[in-house]
Amino acid sequence: MVRRLLNGTEAASPAVPLLDRARAASTTTLSAPARLQRLRERRSAAYLQAVAQLDAGTHVHDRQAMDALKAAIDQELAALIDSEQLQGIVARCHLGDPYEVHTLQSSGWIIDHFKFGQPLPLMLERARTLAVHPAYAFIEVYAHRMVAVMSSGQTAIIEGAT
Amino acid sequence: MSGERIIHLADLSAIKSGLNAIGRDLETLSTQVHGVQGDVDATRSELARLQQAFMDFVAADLMAKELSLAETRQVKIRQELETRFGHHADVRRQTTGILQAADIQLVRQDTIRAATEQLMLAAPGYWLAPALVALASWLSDNRELAERALSEALRRDDEKTSLLFALVCRRAGRLLAAQQWMDRYLALQNPVALERQTVVLIDAIAAGVFGVDMANACLKRTGEWIDELSQRAGFVDEQRQQWIRALRFKTPSHDDTARFPHLHKHSATWPELQEALNNHATHAAVTAHFQGVFEGPARATASLVSDVDALLDKLVARFDGDELPLRRDEELCRLIIEENGNRDVARQRYALQEKALEDQVSFTQLLTNAAMHPETSHASRTTQRFATALSRSWILDAHHDLTAQFRVQVPVDISVAIDGWQGSTRDGSNQAELEASLNAHVDVQEQAALAAVKLTWVHWCAVALGAMLLLFGFGSVVAMAMGAGIGLWVFWVYKNLDKQRAQVRERFAQARQACQQRLKACLAETVELRRELARRDAESETLTALLESISPEQFTLGGHDTARRLLATA
Repeated sequence: MVRRLLNGTEAASPAVPLLDRARAASTTTLSAPARLQRLRERRSAAYLQAVAQLDAGTHVHDRQAMDALKAAIDQELAALIDSEQLQGIVARCHLGDPYEVHTLQSSGWIIDHFKFGQPLPLMLERARTLAVHPAYAFIEVYAHRMVAVMSSGQTAIIEGAT
Repeated sequence: MSGERIIHLADLSAIKSGLNAIGRDLETLSTQVHGVQGDVDATRSELARLQQAFMDFVAADLMAKELSLAETRQVKIRQELETRFGHHADVRRQTTGILQAADIQLVRQDTIRAATEQLMLAAPGYWLAPALVALASWLSDNRELAERALSEALRRDDEKTSLLFALVCRRAGRLLAAQQWMDRYLALQNPVALERQTVVLIDAIAAGVFGVDMANACLKRTGEWIDELSQRAGFVDEQRQQWIRALRFKTPSHDDTARFPHLHKHSATWPELQEALNNHATHAAVTAHFQGVFEGPARATASLVSDVDALLDKLVARFDGDELPLRRDEELCRLIIEENGNRDVARQRYALQEKALEDQVSFTQLLTNAAMHPETSHASRTTQRFATALSRSWILDAHHDLTAQFRVQVPVDISVAIDGWQGSTRDGSNQAELEASLNAHVDVQEQAALAAVKLTWVHWCAVALGAMLLLFGFGSVVAMAMGAGIGLWVFWVYKNLDKQRAQVRERFAQARQACQQRLKACLAETVELRRELARRDAESETLTALLESISPEQFTLGGHDTARRLLATA
């Protein structure tokens, strides 16, 4: 069974308005090559740290922690979230056996932990192999490509939706 | 009373012995049928092996034919090059010949002039002939003829002539003139569509043929080219694709079936696994390539004159556009021969390095070609180092992407199919579960086979017939004897069923053991394969470390002066 650490009410709650405005403003200006360039850029230490704390579980009870995480993601990926259609983030789970990976789905900002062999949501399953590879800190899954982020912040792009 | 007497008189021993004989014959027949069944199975298996051997033979024969064809074609192409462009070779040979003769002043100027004029007549339309006339005229101080010949050479091929005279002037120590020719050459260049011979310029810079000022001017210009290219939309993606193609060229096409025979035979995932093994072997191949580039001596010659002569030879001999279509065919033949006649693999490799044989390439593609395909781009080792150092960040990006692509393509689950049973494993750790599943599968088959060992409708009909004969043929010796005989036959068959069941059990016990052994072998190979993949995957880190250790800022250019020159580029 999926270990749901966040209740489902998050989907209904409004996103941070200020960041959304910034994102909406930059969406229209980015061309496809520019988006690729942004995708390739090295990820910041703050963002890496924020995503690494998904395991800590503080986001379950602490709305401020969740808001901070969303803000960190918004600040890092900004326009890419909409223009590249971010589906979610998949990372190796450090909770230990039987959990293998955890996901942060962009729709509803829900954090789920998955056991070995337990299927991930359809769009995120393709990131599983890379997510468990020790070379990568986490995988950003977009509609048409994936970005594997190393713990140094360096990125690798994998084209294709399958 | 009379009936009893009749029965006593009847002699059934003959019938009984006949029935016994029939029973023995049936037993023999049954044994023979089993033997035939075994033979059919063996024949079927032999046939499958023969079919596989035949398919292998056809594939090997096809490859042998392709290999032979490629070798023949290569010879023909070389002959055609000789026939169509052989006269160019005469002209080429005289380029450095004239310069060296002038150095030691052993040949009279009239002879040189006459020889060059003869070449002009022998090689119509070739740019080098008037260039040599100009050179000879220059040596004999005939300005008017030199200018006329030069304008003709420039008309025929402005870029190559400019580069040729830049090198000739440098060889003669006329730095100012060399600078002017170089400026002219650089001004003619479009960084998006450079002529292939620009690699000679890079060679010259990297080998330190030009003086410090000239080299810096050239480096400044190449820096501007990179800046200009970087401004173009999609530059980053283009670089990535370009370098991914270049790195993929090093992917080997090994066949590991001998190392993993059971997975090859029993796993439908094998083609993907083989591809993953080859993909992951790319890291070691690319690492070896770059280690080769950065280790060992960089320069083959010691003097400036020898270096320039080598560059001149390269310039005049390797970059003629007319010869390019034939050179492309020749390269494809070379790859087919290298791949032992495997045309498909050779074509894939050719497609990956096709851009090295294009007439015009961008500056960054030129660097890629120089770094990765020295045999087709004719780049020296020094140039390879220079190009690699300049392209380091792009190579790293492409390598990260390629590594991630390889990793994501590795099959997660490996399917195993043995005699109708199917299972899958990730790393061989679910052995107990798979063994139980295989046992259950064999159990089901065994139960089905045992259930088939029973009296059939024929036997039951015979029982009914025998009973009827006994019942209704009471009084008739023949009918009763037949009924009794039929009864005995059915009884004998019934008694024989246990023996058949034992045979079935024995057969399935053997099959179970064989299946379990094959499963264990598959799982052992799975563990070995995962370990091998991890080992090959880990080599990507070696390559990353090697590339990161290359520092473009401290890349030392070779030189013929004592000054240490540093490449100051991004």
